[in-house]
Amino acid sequence: MKNKNSFSKGLSKIQFMELEACTQCGECLKFCPVQEVTGNTLISPPEKIRLFREFIRATDGLKTRLFGPGEIDRRLLEDFTKAVYECTTCGACGQNCPVGIFTQRLWPTLRKEMVRRGLGPIGIQSDMPGLIGKTGNPYGKPAKERYTPWFPVDVRIADRADTAYYAGCSGSYEAHPMVRGDVLVLDAIGRPFTMLPPEEEVCCGFPLFITGQHDMLEDLTKRLVDAYKARGVKTLICSCPCCVNIMVRDWPAFYGSELPFKVRHISQVVSDAIQEKRLVFSEGLQEKIIYHDPCYLSRGVGIIEEPRRVLKSIPGVALLEFDRHGVNSRCCGSGGAARKVFHENAIAMGRLTIDEAVAKGADKLVLSCPACYAKVNEAMVGHERQVRIVDIMELLSGLVKRGQL
Amino acid sequence: MIRYMDVLLLLLAYMMYIAFLVRVFTHVRIWLNAAVQSVTYTRAPLGSFRVCALTAMEVLFFRKLFANDKPLWTGSWLFHLSLFFVLLRHLRYFLQSVPVCITAVQPFGIFAGYILLIALVFILLVRLYSGEKRYISYSNYFILSALLLLSFSGLLMRNFFRPDLLQAKAFILGILTFRPDAAPSGILFNFHFLIALLLLPYVPSHIFAAPLVIAEAARREEGLRMMMHEK
Repeated sequence: MKNKNSFSKGLSKIQFMELEACTQCGECLKFCPVQEVTGNTLISPPEKIRLFREFIRATDGLKTRLFGPGEIDRRLLEDFTKAVYECTTCGACGQNCPVGIFTQRLWPTLRKEMVRRGLGPIGIQSDMPGLIGKTGNPYGKPAKERYTPWFPVDVRIADRADTAYYAGCSGSYEAHPMVRGDVLVLDAIGRPFTMLPPEEEVCCGFPLFITGQHDMLEDLTKRLVDAYKARGVKTLICSCPCCVNIMVRDWPAFYGSELPFKVRHISQVVSDAIQEKRLVFSEGLQEKIIYHDPCYLSRGVGIIEEPRRVLKSIPGVALLEFDRHGVNSRCCGSGGAARKVFHENAIAMGRLTIDEAVAKGADKLVLSCPACYAKVNEAMVGHERQVRIVDIMELLSGLVKRGQL
Repeated sequence: MIRYMDVLLLLLAYMMYIAFLVRVFTHVRIWLNAAVQSVTYTRAPLGSFRVCALTAMEVLFFRKLFANDKPLWTGSWLFHLSLFFVLLRHLRYFLQSVPVCITAVQPFGIFAGYILLIALVFILLVRLYSGEKRYISYSNYFILSALLLLSFSGLLMRNFFRPDLLQAKAFILGILTFRPDAAPSGILFNFHFLIALLLLPYVPSHIFAAPLVIAEAARREEGLRMMMHEK
């Protein structure tokens, strides 16, 4: 007989093994950005795993099988829920875990379990399904404002094309220079690309996935995939690491089959275009710049070299690196849908990124994620150390030749 | 002749053995009930050279721990290696006829006994005094303390208070074959045996799970290169 109250039934077999494999050695704590700014070990990765194992024991253990389920302290469940949502899901803990627990996927799974029990999500995160259902985006902004504030008037969008660009909600509503830069650079490459009309370009599902609210994911995925399929799209380009992540990893599962197109991060397309001389610089940049790897781009889908190739190809640029970069990059604080709920943590993490960029002597801090872009800019307000923040495509769009082909 | 203490030890031995089996059974049952979900990330084949090499490096040499925390790696690696040899050495008490390889490993086992104690003390010091180690669970302290006592009592018996080893072997084999025999006299053996029993249900499940999780992580790490780069 299936135990409906079971804490383990939402876990995959390998995730159950992962919980078993944790020795609570605490190595992950050195890399946890939330630990860095809060110092609260009660919300640490090993403590979350320990507690979840307790919950499994309480609902699936021998005692429960023999004598029936006992009560789990409600306060403990609430504390655990807060801990699992305070995490930015950056995955640095798993990257440095001696046994390699895939925490970037484990934490969202545990969040889903807390949603099933009516304990998650937290705060305004619970408004997201309603807002997405109503407006198509988690910010509740009108669809007609999705492109108009930032879309360059001189860029033409094809009705049908092999290539499509997905702007994403965070870029469209919270990081205008980034998506504007994307479109300008794609236009400069000179190959036709299509975009969905604003009312059809709905949320990719990532904010719902990451907060454990999975009910709408199949519908959103099918609407988007079918819309691109109808336009004959063979390659879908996106600049938002979170969108790219869910598209590559989870869309096939929610769609029910392989996607009819491949997904590429914009830096891949741009890197190829520079190499093939389809994108040419009109000017250089005599500056020291430092590039921050977004967690869901580097640890998420392994895009590490392409953004660097793009930046290194700018004439005159000196590219600096953070102490922790590539798959070991430090979260800027905006991940995991935690930035709007645990605002102070996110600001403190963002300022750590700013401080290191300033300490390294960078003229510009280059980002490549709309959530990072919005939050690190917010962290800059009122901070004593200042550095110019720029998105990678925003930077590039001002340096490349347009309309040369 | 079997005394009260021997009966107590025998009963405890069977209880702990049952507790260990129940624990394994419970965990396997939960594992079987866990959801069958399609893996949503690109994985390199399990048999590929790089996956095998990465897994071996991790399982045998704790590659990531070495990269991140050299003091803890030193203690941890020495602990696991020395424990392996100490356990190998102890096999002679569990086998009626001792194979040549177990006989050959005895000197290493004795040396490993000293290293084991040093490694455990070192790990405890790193845990207690390293500023970066802000987390340690009570179960970690419990297991660490029990292992320290086990190791220390073992060395005391080896060097100062030698029990009757033939009797020790007869006692252990008696438990395994359900033909109880008397334990060697002396409180130190009883203590050593009791601590070992206490640890039996706590045999960390990571011993079984970690190699599989490590192999999966290696497949994922390798797969990360392919995830966005297939033509």
